[in-house]
Amino acid sequence: MQYAFLAYTPPEETDRATRPIPGALADLFDQPDVTGWARLHAHESATTLRNDEGRMLLTDGPFIDSKEYLAGLILIEADNLDRALAIAEGMLQETRPGTAIEVRPVLAGHFRGA
Amino acid sequence: MALDAVFRDQWGRVLATLVGVLGDIELAEEAVAEAFAVAAERWPHDGEPANPTGWLVTTARHRAVDQLRRRQVLAAKTKLLARDIETGPQPPEPLMDDTVSIPDERLELVFTCCHPALALEAQVALTLRTLGGLSTDEIALAFLVPFETMSKRLTRAKHKIRDAGIPFTVPPDHQLPDRLAAVLSVVYLIFNQGWGGGRVDLAAEAIHLGRPLADLMPDEPEVLALLALMLLHDARKAARLRDGELVPLDGQDRSLWDTRQIDEGRALLRRAMTQRRTGPYLLQAAIADLHLYQPRDWRQIAALYERLARRTRSAIVEMNRAIAVAEIDGPEAGLTVLDRLDLDHYRYFHSTRAELLRRAGRDGEAHRAYRRALDLAQTEPEQRFLAERLAETARYDRTEHDTTGR
Repeated sequence: MQYAFLAYTPPEETDRATRPIPGALADLFDQPDVTGWARLHAHESATTLRNDEGRMLLTDGPFIDSKEYLAGLILIEADNLDRALAIAEGMLQETRPGTAIEVRPVLAGHFRGA
Repeated sequence: MALDAVFRDQWGRVLATLVGVLGDIELAEEAVAEAFAVAAERWPHDGEPANPTGWLVTTARHRAVDQLRRRQVLAAKTKLLARDIETGPQPPEPLMDDTVSIPDERLELVFTCCHPALALEAQVALTLRTLGGLSTDEIALAFLVPFETMSKRLTRAKHKIRDAGIPFTVPPDHQLPDRLAAVLSVVYLIFNQGWGGGRVDLAAEAIHLGRPLADLMPDEPEVLALLALMLLHDARKAARLRDGELVPLDGQDRSLWDTRQIDEGRALLRRAMTQRRTGPYLLQAAIADLHLYQPRDWRQIAALYERLARRTRSAIVEMNRAIAVAEIDGPEAGLTVLDRLDLDHYRYFHSTRAELLRRAGRDGEAHRAYRRALDLAQTEPEQRFLAERLAETARYDRTEHDTTGR
């Protein structure tokens, strides 16, 4: 099965774009289980387009207004939820305190090489 | 055995096997329900087959194939299943002989249903439905929620298991302690709901769930201890109420205690103790056992509660220790322990406190504590019991008001 990890992290002081992915985490992204990943700019960079009964509304900022922001998407292949959770746990250990990973089974998708 | 009893007995076993084959609880449930309906029609005149489990599993598998064909979905799965049946050791008609043994997959099922990725209330409902064989109606009734709510809760849980890929498996060793604790807490939660006196005997259901777990995990002391604990508590059921009134343990008619159940509980407790690993259920079962002796060994009871409190950091355990302390060193000593606890929301805290206050001769305070307990009481016998105590202490309350008013 394919799972998507949605990683939420608390706000930080330093500029995210200038910080590299921590080495241990980068190694985990290189595992064969990981089929794709995307690290996102902090939520100040977000723009939300919303379908309001046919009218397209454009707003500045992320859709979900919370302290934590969506920092990345990781796609993995795992036999079942337990295995997916184990992978997520390994990654979470290499993140800053307060980070959370939401694990979602992928219903369908098409992933081109990056 | 009466047909109903056979069905109750077989439901979890047969369903677990079908979930193992089909990989989907909803499909499996439909197929098993159909097989049971066929059995209800045929067994009364054909006689019960030699191997009812085998018969039901085979019939359910055939029904599942039919169902899948009818639906024209999951084509690959149908082929797989059909091939499995053709090559498997099944006679054409479901007339299985008793030499065919079917692996018992109830453990896989219970670990699936009590997976921490499901909400606790969903785990509880699903376990009662799949392993316990209770109908959605009965579960709704037991938890006092509308049928629609319970039905949705069950469906959502089954869909999450399917869509999120919650595995149908016994967790590996490094995960087993946590996951087993989750299973046991679901069973114990069901048992404790049973003490509320609802229309479905949930205590009996929890024991019914505990038995196969103890059979299938004979080397897990906590599994044995939980069953022991439930049996020892439940053995006093008939004596706990007299004419609709709650009877405290010391006033209970011991001839009403179920000695067979006590013996069984004690034997399980002894077996659990030989494993030399002490867990919270083992301590609780040992305490439950000590409570059955006359006179009670309050020192040992207090010592076990202390160990349990250290382990669980539970204020309710501390409250129970306070009762034992009061028996050893007097009510004031018990009250000293109680007054350190933050249990204002808990109804038994107030009734316990009231009782100790009354014994300490602080009747005015006892009266107010009984009133608070009565406000929080949930069942009728509890309310009646507390109302009586409230009336008993009423005059003291007035006296105290008089004295303070003066």
